Amino acid sequence: MNFEIIGDITNIEIIAVGNSIRELERLRKTYGSGRWRKLKGFATISLDDRSIYEAELHWYEAHGIGKKEIKLKRFL
Amino acid sequence: MQSANTETEYVVCINNKDYPASLEIRKIYQTVPDSDAVKHQMIRVIDESGEDYLYPSNYFVLIELPKAVAEVFYLAS
Repeated sequence: MNFEIIGDITNIEIIAVGNSIRELERLRKTYGSGRWRKLKGFATISLDDRSIYEAELHWYEAHGIGKKEIKLKRFL
Repeated sequence: MQSANTETEYVVCINNKDYPASLEIRKIYQTVPDSDAVKHQMIRVIDESGEDYLYPSNYFVLIELPKAVAEVFYLAS
């Protein structure tokens, strides 16, 4: 990741679950089987150049596996 | 045949550190123009999810597709 999350992720929503996640098979192959969900939320992030922004983040999560591949959707 | 969108660029992934389920090394991805991303050495790429996200520019190498291939990719997108 080329950014660091500062503080908590807020306004978390589930945007996809199980088979509705297009890359579900890739998640299972990479991290293992689980009840995968795709979520979104908002957080303050610090980029590599030390600039700080509010941003929308998306990531994948499964019980016992945790948050994976936190992706930067957009700056707010 | 319809002309390819000249603003559409294609990149090859050369690094998928931290994103192995979202990006595949050696695979071609379509970019989406994003001037804010460029300022931060990032690039907006349509990944395996089918959605566009900001990734580090150094994860990719820009490639120029032959016109016929670019047209097929454009029509398929």
